[in-house]
Amino acid sequence: MNESKGLILEIQRLSTEDGPGIRTTVFMKGCPLACKWCHNPESIKPEPQIQWINSRCIGCKNCIIVCPERALTWDNGVIIDRTLCKGCGKCAESCPSTAMEILGRIWDVEKLTTEILKDKVYFEKSGGGVTISGGEGTFQSSFVAKLSENLSKNKIHVALDTCGFYSDQVLEKIFPFVDLFLYDIKEMDILKHIEFTGQSNELILKNLIDLSNKCMNNSNKKIWIRTPLIPSMTAREDNILKIAKFINENLSFDVVERWELCLFNNLCKDKYRRLGIKWELDDIDLISEKEADDFLSLAKSIITKDDFCYITGSKRLVEN
Amino acid sequence: MSSVGQKLKQPKNLSERIRFLRDYYFKGSQRNWNNEFTSWNCGKDWDAQYNEMHYYIVPETFALFQTMYQSFRLSSEKVEVPDDFFRKNIAQRRAYFNKKVITDFLPCEILPGDLLFGSRFNLQTSFCLDKKEMKDRNKKILGKNGLRKKAIWFHDHGFGNAGPTGGHLIADYEKILKYGFKSVYEQAQSLYEKLSPKDKKSDMGKNLLAFMEAATIPKELALRYSEKCVKLYENEIDSKRKEELLKMSKIGEKVPWEPAENFWEAMQSLWLTHMLIMSDENYPGPGVSFGRIDQYLYPYWEKSLKDGMDREFGKEIIKCFFVHCNTAYDAMIRTGNNGITAGFGQLITLSGMGKDGVDLTNDLTYAFLEVIDDMSPILEPKPNVRLHRNSPEKLLDKIADMISESQGAPFLLNFDERSIAGMLREARLAKLENLINLNNVHDYAPVGCLENTMVGNDRSGTVDCNLNLAKALELVLANGKEFFEVIDPITKKREKIRQLGPKTGDPTKFKNFDQFFKAYEIQTKYIIRKIFELYDKGESIRSKYHPTPYLSCLVKGCIEKGKDITQGGAEINFVTLEAVTFATTVDSLLAIKYLVYDKKICEMRKLIEALKNNWEGYETLQAIAKYKAPKYGKDDDEADEMALKVMKLWTDETWKYKTTSTNRQFRPGMLSWNYWVSDGYILPATPDGRKKGQFLSNAICPVNGADTNGPTANTNSVGKALGGKNKENADYLDYINLLPNGASHTITFNPSILKDNQHKEKFKAFLRGYIENGGTALQINMLDPEMLKDAQKNPQDYRHLLVRVTGYNAYFTSIGKELQDEVISRISHQKI
Repeated sequence: MNESKGLILEIQRLSTEDGPGIRTTVFMKGCPLACKWCHNPESIKPEPQIQWINSRCIGCKNCIIVCPERALTWDNGVIIDRTLCKGCGKCAESCPSTAMEILGRIWDVEKLTTEILKDKVYFEKSGGGVTISGGEGTFQSSFVAKLSENLSKNKIHVALDTCGFYSDQVLEKIFPFVDLFLYDIKEMDILKHIEFTGQSNELILKNLIDLSNKCMNNSNKKIWIRTPLIPSMTAREDNILKIAKFINENLSFDVVERWELCLFNNLCKDKYRRLGIKWELDDIDLISEKEADDFLSLAKSIITKDDFCYITGSKRLVEN
Repeated sequence: MSSVGQKLKQPKNLSERIRFLRDYYFKGSQRNWNNEFTSWNCGKDWDAQYNEMHYYIVPETFALFQTMYQSFRLSSEKVEVPDDFFRKNIAQRRAYFNKKVITDFLPCEILPGDLLFGSRFNLQTSFCLDKKEMKDRNKKILGKNGLRKKAIWFHDHGFGNAGPTGGHLIADYEKILKYGFKSVYEQAQSLYEKLSPKDKKSDMGKNLLAFMEAATIPKELALRYSEKCVKLYENEIDSKRKEELLKMSKIGEKVPWEPAENFWEAMQSLWLTHMLIMSDENYPGPGVSFGRIDQYLYPYWEKSLKDGMDREFGKEIIKCFFVHCNTAYDAMIRTGNNGITAGFGQLITLSGMGKDGVDLTNDLTYAFLEVIDDMSPILEPKPNVRLHRNSPEKLLDKIADMISESQGAPFLLNFDERSIAGMLREARLAKLENLINLNNVHDYAPVGCLENTMVGNDRSGTVDCNLNLAKALELVLANGKEFFEVIDPITKKREKIRQLGPKTGDPTKFKNFDQFFKAYEIQTKYIIRKIFELYDKGESIRSKYHPTPYLSCLVKGCIEKGKDITQGGAEINFVTLEAVTFATTVDSLLAIKYLVYDKKICEMRKLIEALKNNWEGYETLQAIAKYKAPKYGKDDDEADEMALKVMKLWTDETWKYKTTSTNRQFRPGMLSWNYWVSDGYILPATPDGRKKGQFLSNAICPVNGADTNGPTANTNSVGKALGGKNKENADYLDYINLLPNGASHTITFNPSILKDNQHKEKFKAFLRGYIENGGTALQINMLDPEMLKDAQKNPQDYRHLLVRVTGYNAYFTSIGKELQDEVISRISHQKI
């Protein structure tokens, strides 16, 4: 991929959960981390993948016939041999009912800009804009830099949802055009971070401090911190306490506007199933309302600033 | 138009009085008192009451026509008429007869605690025709080539429906409040007196006499209620209630004959004036609307508050008014509130702009909104709130709160800029700039559901013609014929396939899409001519035999011209052609272009075979048509261009027609009441992948489930289909609106859009975006558990349903059953 072409998983309009106002969220494909709880597992691999959506299939078997790699077979449904599939997308193209779906499409940056601008009026009325999410936006840094530049030329507010695992050069390219960074601190313990995500958190935390300092000199740029609360993983008192302290000690409250504790989300179970991946967290329950409240209180006990700590996402319905 | 999802909302803040009146109303047929139709004859054996032409637009009642006609005849009571009765013209006879029934026969009742009088108004009164007139009318309607047959044929063949129905206008209530019926009487009288002796004997002179007679009905009725109040006063022991009854009796001596001088008088004057329109037309509540009620009542509200009226008491009067509006539904209370009675729409319009875009929201706007909030769920009156660029934050806050609490909007939103563009367009095209222009266009208001009209001088027949645009596609695909023999649903008689429309050529021989579209143009012109011809016949019968002199007193132009409103007396006279199946048609054209011409996936012959087989055996092709061909409603510029092309075609053609008997100009609109559901069982399979029996598209909405890019994309598409925005040839500011009547648009939101204050701000911003990019009217629904359960069963229809959590997205239908159940449970508990 380069400056003009990007691999995009999905474009989500009237997005109300990914930053201020009404937004269009662009989900990029490809991520340097592989978090165990990832709720968009289809966004991790930096190349197109296919999936079969049972409820859409009319059983015509076109896909099986057209597959040049013979990667598809039928046994009460389409079976994908992922060792053979090269993600060419011929099956999706031939599927009449979009049951075979290609995950990841190449978009031209100018076309994407035009597409996004269709909702400009809603961005303006709501103080919203565009959120580049993923996957990981910085993973296709040239494209994202160009897209952000295009958008900021059109006076569109740009938010970048990032895991923070990027090099200085990458940030240099993107930084001028981004107004808000949605930055993840997932886990303070280095070993646990490696265990949960596949990478260490050293670079991530260093990048965050640098970013905060950089934003200090640029009063319009802001940061929101996000922490996924994953049962038996990141959702531990010591982790939340350490993150809160880290924020307090290293970051500027002039720059960092909020900290969101994002509750574990299990709606992605079927995404794993469709990708043929056994998900380690398949049986894990959502966090209860009480636990969520306790974590929020804990966060607030360290960071006392008003309207700073938030909980987002779904809590467990029935208390047990 | 119903708003779903109001189940959770409960009424609140009701006084003992209002709680009693509201609960009593909802007892329905268990009540001792009701406002059921009563029927009256003039003593002639040929007499009848039930005018079926009102109901040609309600196909589910076709089978009942004869029963209704007979049962009202047989149950009617006799009213003596004078010897010279039939020497007068029909308008005079009707005025006399209705007055006699209303002032001599109808009981006057006041429910305990009610602050307004005026209870019995659902009437079926004598046609007042002599033997010869009746014979002619019956021949024209019931004869071998009569209108009834034609109307039923038109519907059974899937063209749609048409007929001259009542209501759907806003009378000049403001004039009655300000000057009283006295002024109406005097106006008609002075015009009459100026006529030459010869003209006095003409229809014009006789009509003026009819208007004078009709103008006295409310006076005499109010006096009867006034006497009733005195009687109740004498027997009342509660001193507070005694005082109220005394005041009401004084009010009855004054209004509506004299001008109203305070809020209570104004509300009383308004209600009595309004309800008698329904009596006059013998039709309860069909879109007889109030217009900008918070504007013309405001001077009285303000004055009464200044004079010491408690604001809560003012709201109490409004609440009584609400209960009265609902009693229209009593008409056929014993046979159930379906069919005819589900379609009432006594609209009230709130807020909106004044001249130069100034906002006119006032304290009475909020008082009405509070009443709606307190009273809902309730059926009538139906509120429309007008929004525009300068609508205040406070109003939007109130709206967002009410929608959030009701789980769906208890009102329709109307959008001023786009609506006004349409009104100015009709002024230009019909050369009515003297009557509709920048100085007064802001006073427009919707009637019925969302149909925009001017106020007090406008009858635009907003539901009279409903045309299935998709019928033209079938005609193209069968070279001017229909696919199948039509079998009469009752007699099971088969009707042979005939050449109906022009021969536009064998569709399998068309070389490109342009040729196909040319044929489509010709068939569209044919179906429009067809609906015009049907309507025109009914209009000429109505104009000859069914005058409404009381209503004519209340619509500017009728007295001035000495012409009844049914004869085209109103200053502004349109007939609205409402197009049904718009998106189904657009998507079908897109599918034909995609399948046959662009991608060459199948030949035309195969597509026609597939349609004739209702897609059975052609499932792959159907899936491609449904899921792969471009669709209107996704903000896809190419698809939306097709939508605009179709829109321009049928609207341009509509403007070419005027009724022959009354010279009413046709204008376009898009309301599709429930036809998009019921006609889905009549129209054959369509090229967009729809099978026979599945819903058609509703008004200007995209096909169900096709708006996979969400509400903003859906909104943008709708705005583009209406003509979009353009500085050069705009109708108003930079807005174009090809549909002066307006277009019904519904969007279903996930309740999460209103889950907290930050999200409410986002929702408000969406509405401000809608003002810029969207259509004329919006119904907001909230996703409810029922819809999601249906989505579990029929995932193919709900591909657009999205589940959103921070940083995450998934389509509802692509998550497993167990998680779907959880989402449903969340929506039920408002925890999403």
